[in-house]
Amino acid sequence: MTVITRTTQPDAPAAPRSTAARDSLILGGRAIREALRTPDSLLPTMFIPLFFLVVNVGQAARIFPAEGTPFLEGQNYGAFQLPASLLLSASFGGAALYLVEEIEGGYFDKLRATPISRMALVLGRLYAEFVKTLAVATAMVVIALLFGIRIESGFAGFLVLIAMVALWAMVFSGFMQLISLKTRSAAATQGASMIFFPLLFLTPNFVPRDQLTRPMEIAATLNPVTYIMEAARSLILVGFDGAALAKGFGVIAVTMTIMLALSVRMINSYD
Amino acid sequence: MSAINAVGLRKTYGHGDEAVDAVRGVDLDVAAGEIFGFLGPNGAGKSTTVRMLTTLMTLSGGTAYVAGVDVARDPDSARNKIGVALQEAGLDDRQTGREILVLQGRLFGMSRDDAAARAQELLELVDLLDAADRRVKGYSGGMKRRLDLASALVHEPEILFLDEPTTGLDPASRITVWDEVRRINRNGTTVFLTTQYLEEADQLCDRLAIIDDGRIIREGTPSSLKQELRDRRGLDSDPTLDDVFLDATGRNRDRVAGEVKEI
Repeated sequence: MTVITRTTQPDAPAAPRSTAARDSLILGGRAIREALRTPDSLLPTMFIPLFFLVVNVGQAARIFPAEGTPFLEGQNYGAFQLPASLLLSASFGGAALYLVEEIEGGYFDKLRATPISRMALVLGRLYAEFVKTLAVATAMVVIALLFGIRIESGFAGFLVLIAMVALWAMVFSGFMQLISLKTRSAAATQGASMIFFPLLFLTPNFVPRDQLTRPMEIAATLNPVTYIMEAARSLILVGFDGAALAKGFGVIAVTMTIMLALSVRMINSYD
Repeated sequence: MSAINAVGLRKTYGHGDEAVDAVRGVDLDVAAGEIFGFLGPNGAGKSTTVRMLTTLMTLSGGTAYVAGVDVARDPDSARNKIGVALQEAGLDDRQTGREILVLQGRLFGMSRDDAAARAQELLELVDLLDAADRRVKGYSGGMKRRLDLASALVHEPEILFLDEPTTGLDPASRITVWDEVRRINRNGTTVFLTTQYLEEADQLCDRLAIIDDGRIIREGTPSSLKQELRDRRGLDSDPTLDDVFLDATGRNRDRVAGEVKEI
């Protein structure tokens, strides 16, 4: 083998300055390709939430019939449960597990040795997480439509719904990535997901918030995931509810800002 | 101009009572066009020094310039001028060899077409064209090393850092890598090489430094270091670089064999 390298050319033009957006798209593209090559890790993000949807509806549908259950707005109980399943599919934190694998294997250092924006190392995988979740959430909603669930807000509402779920996937994965960067351990990252996971269940996922027991109602009110779930549910059951959507997207905006601020700090001090 | 210049380089891990000084004031001056060897026992501070010089780790003290760029003040400029192949050939097993090289080119600012053309050129040159579109997971250790080396050369760096490039390779693959390092150097690239193999350092390096316990304890050409030991000990024949290393580090074969240290 013979490698030819160019000797230094002092007047050679400098390489184009990288930008966080360009670098993130390049790294995100690689992460999407990686996901497509590991369907065994992608498919559970759809089938496990669908499994819970079927089980939960099977257990509670007779308690909450479409007729006579005002909070269902004339739909079946699956429509009420769908947002919980969508948020579950967005809360697997796959990006963080790939990242920690890359840290342990040494490829992360190879990427760090390139002159890319440090934030792109974080944002690339989050962009991929956004795209993956858009695809998975779309598939889940389409399956739900086949079983008679309607999106009351129409096609525009459907787009808003999957965008909201995909943005939440970015936030959740971003926090998980912070744990990966801090601990550099797959076991710790996996364990940490168990800390965040209960947040999904301290929500009004079986009945509306005002029908929960008082302690659960307080917990759900303090839990930011509640507002995303209620916003998603409003799109399915009611239509465009400005107040619910403002709260849902507000929670996403605040948590996204916190996650990104912590990520900047973490990646810039990563040694 | 020096390709690499470091003065008083220090790295401390941890704080307070748990602080560990991994590198304790290293001075280095590597001339442009040299192959410079950096030797030391396990845990001596070799990899930590390389990680500081390649911007992968912050400096606890001192200054370091690579290709005239202060690595602490302007790490992005430094990254544009150096190529890095670290221990254990950290590669993404799920990508193909070609995809890794194209990605590397893109991250160094190349257009898609330029990156693809450069990848093709490098794959041909490192004899990986046949395996170019196979996933790296199926590559042998030698193939991974060659791919890692190629990926460090994508942007035609002025200085190439190789951290134990032949560790774990069979003798034939090792000689192939040595030949490649010489060719890269002949084309004008300065090479900074860490190794635990003294024969490798003897074969390849114009000059070398031995680090132990975070400090440089010997520096010079392989022949001058051997001559110095021969003169100092009044030996009848030339010592080997192994003898120089053992003399410098104060180790004997029994102690080295039994030592466990991790930094």
